[in-house]
Amino acid sequence: MLRIDALSVNYGAVEALKNVSLDVPPGRVTAVIGANGAGKSTLMRTLAGLEKPLAGRVLFNDEDITGSKPEDIVRMGIALVPEGRSTIPDLTVAENLKLGGMWRTHAQRATSLTRVYALFPVLGERRHLGADTLSGGERQQLAIGRALMTGPQALLLDEPSLGLAPLIVTQILELVEHMARDSGLAVLLVEQNAATALRVAKTGIVLNLGEIVTSGPAREIAQDEELRHAYLGY
Amino acid sequence: MIDFIDYLLGGISSGAIIALMALALVLVWRSTRVVNFAQLGQAMFTTYIALTVRELTGSWFLGLIIAMAAGLVVGVIVHFLVIRPVKRLDTSGAIIATFGVLIALEALAAMVWGGDPEAFPPPINNSGYEAFGRIWPFSPYDLLVLASVVFLVLALSVVFTRTNVGLAMRASAFNPEVARLSGVRVNRMLVRGWAIAGLVGAVAGVLVAPLSTLSPTSFDIFLVFAFVAAVIGGLDSLVGAVAFGIGTGLVIALVSGYSDSSNAPLVALVLLVLNLLFKPEGVFSHHKARAV
Repeated sequence: MLRIDALSVNYGAVEALKNVSLDVPPGRVTAVIGANGAGKSTLMRTLAGLEKPLAGRVLFNDEDITGSKPEDIVRMGIALVPEGRSTIPDLTVAENLKLGGMWRTHAQRATSLTRVYALFPVLGERRHLGADTLSGGERQQLAIGRALMTGPQALLLDEPSLGLAPLIVTQILELVEHMARDSGLAVLLVEQNAATALRVAKTGIVLNLGEIVTSGPAREIAQDEELRHAYLGY
Repeated sequence: MIDFIDYLLGGISSGAIIALMALALVLVWRSTRVVNFAQLGQAMFTTYIALTVRELTGSWFLGLIIAMAAGLVVGVIVHFLVIRPVKRLDTSGAIIATFGVLIALEALAAMVWGGDPEAFPPPINNSGYEAFGRIWPFSPYDLLVLASVVFLVLALSVVFTRTNVGLAMRASAFNPEVARLSGVRVNRMLVRGWAIAGLVGAVAGVLVAPLSTLSPTSFDIFLVFAFVAAVIGGLDSLVGAVAFGIGTGLVIALVSGYSDSSNAPLVALVLLVLNLLFKPEGVFSHHKARAV
């Protein structure tokens, strides 16, 4: 569904990604793992159109979308949940959700909203409150909810575990994994927390200093001790 | 005591107009992080258009409506012609460019309409109401000004809080990246911010003109007051702009009443300095810190 072909990206003067190719198939979670500075966020930001690649292509449903603007990419069906506080604290919970997918029809948005509130009941309970009143985990749910409101076929999750308790991370990621399986969503998950990511992912890709070191079934990568010591630090 | 009340009453309508001007500055700041020093030049220009329409048709109201439309258009033109090319380079360049626009608009107005002050009479009676055996410094025209400002502020707050466009504009101001990732065409929202600011400024211009005269530079002093009000309010807060706009108007009225109106700009600048010393982020700001 989402195919990345020989992508190279500079971040400032740094070569953040070198000749990276990977596939993100529908109905499952694909995890990109690696240490800080491996180029994971650059990969996500480039896919979402926030950074322009030097070389290579991004294909979505066989269409070349390299260099498209973020607001166009999300309209095509690729939604990024960026790293960190990607909700707008000055808006209410409901407004944050309403922001996603304003170009869609009223009926489509109503369906998505019902689904988001079903997935994350706490958002429904707090919909009239400011997003700044939410806890870290609830904010991450809101950020994912906003992305789902755009009706994506591919969901890009950048470091959702950042600053969250392990139990909450596991809950959120399992929810995402169910969603991928049930609705055929293609999920690309980028994580520093490799153990948790590999638990929900089908395929794992190890990124180091902007290059793919290895890729394969997530379970095998999780059990490869050499890999763990060398690149994943646990 | 009766002097005090008189001065305050006399300051209400100019305070309301300063609130509108501050609102226009805030609308632009929120959308593009630029202080538009040409805002009142634009307002002066559209007020001349209102004067021309009024002389041709005899209708003050038609003049106001055409000036509002012109305000929208001029706001968009300034954004595309000046800000967008310069903003790509850096922000301080864009701010200096707005000074250039101000000077250009003042020169253009002087060429088209002449540099001499022109009378812009109020559309309705501007002499104070009589009650309790004396005349109060508050006229039917002051009431019209106040009603217009309240109506415009309420209309804007409905647009910003109850409509999709308003939500998209707020989101674009708070966090353009998240807005874009949600599918909002942020650049379009920025243009709308400039357009609405132009409209608000145009209303302020038409309303303020009868309080003095209209000349290419007659609004310059209001830029000082509106800027002070907007900065103290937090520069990105619509509520702050309105509250401190009215407050600035009242302070000016008191200073002018008890001493001399030429002291008013000095007092405004002192207020600005005190604000920057003790509460540099502004009173209603959403952000913790800011560089002015």
